[in-house]
Order: sequence, then structure tokens, then C-alpha cells
Amino acid sequence: MNASTSETPAQATTILLVEDDAPTSWRLQDALSNAGYQVRAAGTLGEARAALAESAPKVLLTDLQLPDGHGVELIRETRARFPDTEIMVISILGDEESVISAITVGATGYLLKDAFPTDIAATVRDLVAGHSPISASIARFIVRRTQSTAEPPPGPPLNTTKLTPREIDILWGIAKGFSYAEIAGHLGLSRQTVPGHIKSIYRKLEVHTRGEAVFEAVQQGLIKL
Amino acid sequence: MSEAPASSALGDVRPWRASRIIQYVLLQALLSALCVLGLMQSLPAPPAEYRLTAFRLTEGGSERAVTLPQFTAPRYAIEESPRFAAQFVRPAAEARRLWSVFLPRFTNGVEVSVNGVVIHDSRRDPAANRPDRNTPQIADIPAPLLRDGVNDLSIRLFVWGPIPGFLDRVWVGPDEVLRPYYDRRTLLFVTLPVVFSAWQAILAVILGIMWLMRRHEPAYGVLAAAMATGFFQALLQTPMIETPFSRLSAVVIASAPLEGALVLTFTLLLAGWKWQRWWLVLFVPSLLLTLGGLIGGQPAARALFPFVGLPMVGLSLLIVAFVSGRSALREHNVASFLLGCAVTIMLTCWIVDLLSVFQIVNNRIFTGRLSYSAILVAIGAGLTWRFARALNQVDGFAGRLVAQVREAEEKLKESFAREEERARAAALARERARLMRDLHDGLGGQLVSIVALSERGNAAAGIGEAARAALKDLRLVIDSMDDIGGDLMLALGSWRERATAQLRPHGIALDWQIASTQGLPVHPELRPWHVIQIVRILDEALTNAVKHAQATRITVRIETVPGAEGPAHGCITVADDGRGFELAADGGGTAGSKTARGLRNMQNRAARCGAELGLSSGAAGTQVKLVLPHRFPDSDTATS
Repeated sequence: MNASTSETPAQATTILLVEDDAPTSWRLQDALSNAGYQVRAAGTLGEARAALAESAPKVLLTDLQLPDGHGVELIRETRARFPDTEIMVISILGDEESVISAITVGATGYLLKDAFPTDIAATVRDLVAGHSPISASIARFIVRRTQSTAEPPPGPPLNTTKLTPREIDILWGIAKGFSYAEIAGHLGLSRQTVPGHIKSIYRKLEVHTRGEAVFEAVQQGLIKL
Repeated sequence: MSEAPASSALGDVRPWRASRIIQYVLLQALLSALCVLGLMQSLPAPPAEYRLTAFRLTEGGSERAVTLPQFTAPRYAIEESPRFAAQFVRPAAEARRLWSVFLPRFTNGVEVSVNGVVIHDSRRDPAANRPDRNTPQIADIPAPLLRDGVNDLSIRLFVWGPIPGFLDRVWVGPDEVLRPYYDRRTLLFVTLPVVFSAWQAILAVILGIMWLMRRHEPAYGVLAAAMATGFFQALLQTPMIETPFSRLSAVVIASAPLEGALVLTFTLLLAGWKWQRWWLVLFVPSLLLTLGGLIGGQPAARALFPFVGLPMVGLSLLIVAFVSGRSALREHNVASFLLGCAVTIMLTCWIVDLLSVFQIVNNRIFTGRLSYSAILVAIGAGLTWRFARALNQVDGFAGRLVAQVREAEEKLKESFAREEERARAAALARERARLMRDLHDGLGGQLVSIVALSERGNAAAGIGEAARAALKDLRLVIDSMDDIGGDLMLALGSWRERATAQLRPHGIALDWQIASTQGLPVHPELRPWHVIQIVRILDEALTNAVKHAQATRITVRIETVPGAEGPAHGCITVADDGRGFELAADGGGTAGSKTARGLRNMQNRAARCGAELGLSSGAAGTQVKLVLPHRFPDSDTATS
């Protein structure tokens, strides 16, 4: 996985990076620029909106806690206006609270702030290629939500009713630390299709509109008509 | 009879007690006297002008003049029955009115003839042929039989024992004059006993059911038996001819001693005595009578009755009087007091009856049986009342109980909520303490190290490493707090990610082998602090391999080892292909004091989880083998 980013022509890929902490922002910019990506940086929600007004980036990388608002707003807006833009959330810990809430509004991946520069570039490249990253703990969180329990478990709300048994099996494999190759072997899949499944899982967890949100709330029994 | 309790109790009794006894005895004497006074009141009789008292008695072939009422011998053969003959005058003016013969009292049966024609036989009347009843008879005289002026009246008296025959005065006169007197006596001596009998039957059923439902109160059952016996006794008529059932009837009719024994048993139970087997003696007389009746038939039952039945009844009454009096005085038992008074009345009636039987009193109105029935009914009603009151009390008690239970439930709920809150707070405090310790162990040290490095100013790479380690530890702590449902594989999955990320810059490959299909056994008792200890051991092993062993490949092998006996247990092996180090005698490494400390730390952590840590190192590399326990310990017992 020691990716040599120079192999991939990334000049065409534009990235909007929204991060209010300057050193972190510099670090990420450096890692991405060095990999050949075209990076625009924004420190606030306002700046990010202004940048989006100019042109649509191929990739949006955003922190959640911003000085003038929440990254979730930005993700939702971007997802609505530019469906082709890949969205990733930047998280310090990669915890389910931040990642899942970003996924439900349209993000398809996450990036750890302290990841090694090569890993940062590789993750973005994978995302553009249609491969969403997922951690064992996120996978664990999602599969646990597929198990019916009497009380809603703590954490952000999540509708897992659209996931297929195969997708749930994949999530179990990831949660237990199996590699994509091992999972593919167990489930009789091609190794290359597993990352695509994960992106599909993310897409299924997304709540698209207000109407859909209400529909799903009714489906899950959260709202009684 | 009332002296009995007094004389037996006086000896050892304090003065106030003696006065109470005297009071009680006086009261019983007064009751007795009032009773006698009442019994001496003669029943109203029809006008004297229609009364016949002067008869000629033909008995055993001889004839003599007698004046009614008249006693005879206790037994005659049917054909030798005594015949009483008299004449009466029916004035010609009365020819248009119906005339009757009124016999207010006789024992045991009568056949009435007017002018030589039989007009009435009392033996056909089931109520009239019972010697213990005071059944009157009235016979209409068919008009054609009567002549103006003198007519002949002949009465045959049938006597079959066990008591002497008796014929009270006879009235012959207009039916409309005599009948009201007949009706009054019928009401008193026929209808009333039937009413009592019916009442007794109902009470027998009620008390019997009570006893069936409350077997621990045999008093109800005994009284029910007494009532049932009384009812059947009243129901049957004296058999006139010998049939298979006639013996049974005779036995039942002669069941008075059985009733006496039952009532006595009931009194003893009511007074609070416990049933003793020797009380069966009380039933011996009735058994004798029953056997006699069944074997010898009606005559035997009749012959035995005066010698067995009567004394038993009297004895029963006396003991009942004594026991209830004693119970009333000693325990202030109101029920016993009332029973005592009732028995006094009954006993008085019974004695008067006896006097009549022995012809000491020139009368034959038996009141013993009537008073017994009346009192039994009163007792039954009282018991039913008591039972109903007890039910009410139970209802009230149940109501109070429901309220109390609800109250207690509320309190319990509150205290449970408090307890739950407290337990939650305690768990939270424990968790916070654990978190603090974990953060202190890892993150704290790393942050201090960052501070130290940054003050030296020239070790930027060191700062980065320390900060990265701090972040890694933070993720570990947060990750370990997640509930993984006892599946350690879920924790190892996250660890693999972190380990891969850690090894990537060093160019070390991580070979992840899961030897058994399920990986590791599931441990429901697995707690976050177990997870954190295990993951830190693995981290330490990994760090040692990276820093000191100069390894190029690290293999993590996860397997479930079947136990020789008992359940299988998990085993995690971390092996590198580095240069290894020498182990000291105490199991610690010699590669450096820092490594030695690290190894000791690993041993400690393993011990705290109940796991075994095996170390082996050589030229081919180092192997850390962590054997997990069958069951993780509940509390952190090992000293750290």
C-alpha cells in the first residue's frame, strides 16, 4: 500500500479542503499537493461556500467543527448541488459519532488528521476511484445497528434497513479485522468489488431528503402516524 | 346440672372467680326456672262441655272405669291393644253441623270408632306415629253415623314402646269449635318441627360445605353431621311392618345418642379442645344401638333405647353444659356462654320430658326435641353469621393488604430507582476511575514526553512519534469503551488497522493469521478494561518488534485451542523475524532496561486479565504468546 502517487495523473482532481486549524490544514495541503492534487483551502463555512460558488471540486474534505457552523451543513449542501463531488470528513479519532453523522448526509469516507502523508493521498485517490475507506469500529457500529434491539443504542440515528445480507457480512468481516481479500475469499467475491460494496453501503445509509427522512423514521417506528 | 361446673371449679379458685361462677350458676337456675314455668302453662283447650274424660278401659280381658289422661303399659300386642270406650251426646239441634273427635295427645297410635264404625286410624299418619312428637289428631264423624242423643265412642290405643302408652283427654264436638285448637297444636308440634328440619337440612349443607373448604375447622363438619342426622331422623316414620328398610329406619329414628355425641364433640371443639382419639368412646352408645337395631330389628332398638339412648343424651347434655360453662367462665367465650344457656334450657326440657315418661308429671307434651331443634338451628345460624363476619374481616384485611402491598411496592420502586441510580453512579465512577488510569498510563506519559521533547527543541521527529503514540492510545481508550458483546475479535479488528498504519512507515509487513474459523471464543464477561490490557500487551509486543528487533515481518496468529478438559480458550501469538534478545532468569529481557520494564509490564497486564504470557526469543526472532483464560476475572485483583 506504499502508494506511489506519481503513477496516477492527479492534476485534473480538484480538492476543496475545509479545516480551521491552520497547522492541520497546512499538513493536509502539503500531503495532497505533493501527490499532485489541486487543493483549495477554506478555514470557515463561509469561505467554503464562497469557494463552492466559484466551481465544483472533485473532492470535498471537511472538518466537522467549524468556527461559523457545522461541517454537516456543508456536506449536505454540497451533496445536493454537486452530486458528482466525493465528500470525505476529516476526523481526529475516526469515531463513529462524527463519521456516521457525515455519512448520513452524504459523505462516503473519512480521513484521520494524523494519517501519514502517503496514506492521506492514497485514501483520496481510492475515494476518487470509487473505493470508500471504512474502519473496523465504523463497520462494527453499523452492523450493531442492523441487529434489532429493544432500546435504540446510543450514538447518531442510522437506518440500516436497506443493507443486504451480503453487505452486512462484509461489514462483519471488516469489524473483525479481516482484510478485503479474506472477506472476498470467504464470501466468494472478487477482491476488487469489496471497496465498491462499501461505497454502496455508505450511499444506502444516506438520508437524501426531508421527506425520505420522515419516511424512514416512520419505517423504523420512530414516528407514529 | 348447673352445679357441675361450680363444684368442680370451686376448690382452687380465687374469690372473684367464685363469684363469677355463682353468678353463672344463678343465671342458669333462673333460666331453668323460667323454662319450667313456661312448660307448666297448659295449652289452650276447647270448651269443657265437649270434653270426655270418663272412659271404660278394656285391657287384657278386664274392664274398668278410668279418667283421662291415662297412662298404660309400655307395650301391647296389636290384638291386645287397650280399648277406651265412652258415650257422648249429640243434641238434635246440632244435626246440621259437622262433628269431630279431637285427640290432642296419645301414644303411640289410635283407632277411633263411632257407633261401632272405624272413622280414623292415626298409624297412617307418618307424623302421628312417632312417640317423640306431640301430634294431635282430629277425625270428622260422617253425619249418617251420628244419632241424636247418645252415641258410642271407642278408641283403641296402640302402644309399641319404648315408653308407656298414654291417652290425653278427648273432645267430641262441632268441628268448627274443635278445629282451631287442633290447628294450633298442629302448627306447634307438626309444622314447626318440619320447618326446623328443613332449616337443619339447609344448615347441614352450608356447614358441610364450609367444612369441606376449611378442613382445619372440624367443628363445622361435626355440627353438619349432627344436623344431617337430625334431619334424616325427623324425615322417617316409624315402620309398622318388618321390611329390610324398617331396621334402618328404626336405627335412624333411634339416633338421638349419635346426635348427642356429635353435639358434644362440637361443643368440645368450639371450646377450643383438640380432637382426641379417645373421644370415639362418645360414639359407643350410638354404635351399640345401631348394631342392636340392625341385628335385632325394631324391637331391639326400642328395647335398647331407654337404657342406652336416654342416658347418653342426658350425659351429653350434662357434659355440654359443663364444658360450655367452663369455657364461658375461663375464656370469656361468648359463643360458649350462649351455648351454655341454650343447653340449660334443653336440659330442663329433657328432664321434664323424662318426668313425663316416668309418669311423674301427669302430662305428655315432649319439648326436649323441639328445643333441641330450635337451638341447633340457632347455633347453625350463629355460626353462619360468624363465618360471614369472618369473610367480611378477610375482605377488609385483603383490602388493607392490597393497599399496603401497593404502598410497599411504591416504596420498593422508589428505593429500587434510588438503588439503580446509585449503582449507575457507582459504575460511572468506576468507569471514570478506569478511564483516568488508562489515560494516565498511556496518554499522560506520552504528552509529558512531548512536553519534554519540545523543550529540548531539536527533536521534532521524537515529538511526532510521541504525539502519534498519544493519539493511538486515545483511540484505543475510546475504542475499548465500546460494547463489543464479549467478542474480542471486534477489538482486534480495530487493533489490526492501527497496527497496519503503525508498521507501514517502517516497511514491516503484518501477517494476520486467523487459525480457527471463529477466531477467538466469545466471552460474555469480557469488560473494557480486559480489552485495553490485552490490546496494550499486543501494542507493547509490536513496539518491541519495531524498535529493538529490526524485524521485517510480524505475524499475528489468532486461534482457539481446545482445552484438555473443560472449554476451549483463545490464544494470540505475536512473532517477529528479528534478531531476538536474551531472556534473563526472571523472564525479563536483558536487551535493555527499557525493554525489561516493558516485558514486566506485559506480564503484569496479562496477570490482571487472568491470561498467561509466554516469551521466547532466539536468533530466529521473538515470540510473545498470550494464552487467554477460560473466564476473565470480574475484578482487577492483581497488583499492578
